[in-house]
Amino acid sequence: MRYRMTLAKSIVNLIVLGLILSACSHTIQVDGNYPAPIGDQLPLTVGFYLSEDFKSFTYKEDSEDREEWSISTGQAQRNLFETVLGSMFTDAVSLSKYPQDLPENIEIVIIPEVRELQFTMPRETRVNIFEVWIKYNMTAFDPNGEQVANWVITAYGKTPTAFLKSQEQALAQAINIALRDAGANLYTGFEKIPELQAFLSGKRRSLSLREFKVKAKKAE
Amino acid sequence: MFKPLIVTIIIFVSGCTTVVIDEYRRSDGELTEGDSVVILGRRHSSEYETEPDLIACVGRELHNPEQGVNIIPEKEFVDIMYPWFEPRTAPMHVRSLDRLMENKNVRERMEAYGVKYIVWIDGSTETTASAGSISCTISTGGAGCFGFGTWDKESDYEAAVWDFRDRELSGKLSADAKGTSYMPAIVIPIPLIARVQNNACKGMALQLQQFLVPSGAPNS
Repeated sequence: MRYRMTLAKSIVNLIVLGLILSACSHTIQVDGNYPAPIGDQLPLTVGFYLSEDFKSFTYKEDSEDREEWSISTGQAQRNLFETVLGSMFTDAVSLSKYPQDLPENIEIVIIPEVRELQFTMPRETRVNIFEVWIKYNMTAFDPNGEQVANWVITAYGKTPTAFLKSQEQALAQAINIALRDAGANLYTGFEKIPELQAFLSGKRRSLSLREFKVKAKKAE
Repeated sequence: MFKPLIVTIIIFVSGCTTVVIDEYRRSDGELTEGDSVVILGRRHSSEYETEPDLIACVGRELHNPEQGVNIIPEKEFVDIMYPWFEPRTAPMHVRSLDRLMENKNVRERMEAYGVKYIVWIDGSTETTASAGSISCTISTGGAGCFGFGTWDKESDYEAAVWDFRDRELSGKLSADAKGTSYMPAIVIPIPLIARVQNNACKGMALQLQQFLVPSGAPNS
């Protein structure tokens, strides 16, 4: 009887402790779908490798002066990069491994990594918006594994506080906006990276030379 | 029987709002059959965010295919034009449209959707002042609140109407709304809410309708 009472007490204590802990910890699973960019495709055959760490990325906020947050953006950023990289080149292949088993025709391999994620809440900034910043490290390699370019993508997203919307929902929405921004930055900024610009110019030159040779052969 | 009573209660039980609309018109609306209008929110400021629900509200109020006003929802438009109307990439001036239209895919998609006008709405609704206090207690004998609270809200929006086909600014209009909400609490809190943002939306939609279809019917 005494043992039963102790067990019941322990369970109650555990439930109370769990409730207290869950009151100040937040979990977000961001899962968004993103549109394919509209515009000209770049004339490259590209392989992109999204590592397991990248596909299951979870940011954990555990600083003493803030509440605990666990923010999973892995699935959403996988959807984004697969959609954007998959449609911005004439040919794009998602690689399950790198550098092993690289298909022969690949001209460049792109690997994104999350460098940083930060967020602010309305009560911290005294502005009625939730804000999110994400930084990605992007690296491009040639088929021999030599680095062609290394650049950073910065993304920003914000959403206003809304009546009857939870902090989790608002932050997830701001993250989705930041991810859309990352996609926009990736798509519009790719050709502005000097090393990639040079790589693309070389490819375009060789394509026009090939076209010219074909035309000359036909004329003969 | 109860309907007029409920309407009367709602009228008396809501706070008061004043709305001021200003308009600057360079040319009259020229919507013809098959033309579409896009209403978009400006999201580039770091201090506020044009609320998506305000944009949706103006779109809902304006959408009237029988009168020739066909509105493309904001979300649908920014998705089909991704990434060219994101906060980072959206054109800030009418003349920036020319550069965007050099992209053949973008131009063809805009034409396929029959876009004639792009309406950019910039602004927000904020709580400018609040006063009073309400305290609530729960005891074994029951629960109840006592006190009085009041808060002021201000909406400040500006809409710029771009003629997409002629690449010119057709006009601008602004909507300023102010209202005070009250919440007396004698056992039960009774909110008397001034629907400031909603009234700004309705005022702006009405003015935009007169702007886009001055004769009340589209040209065929």
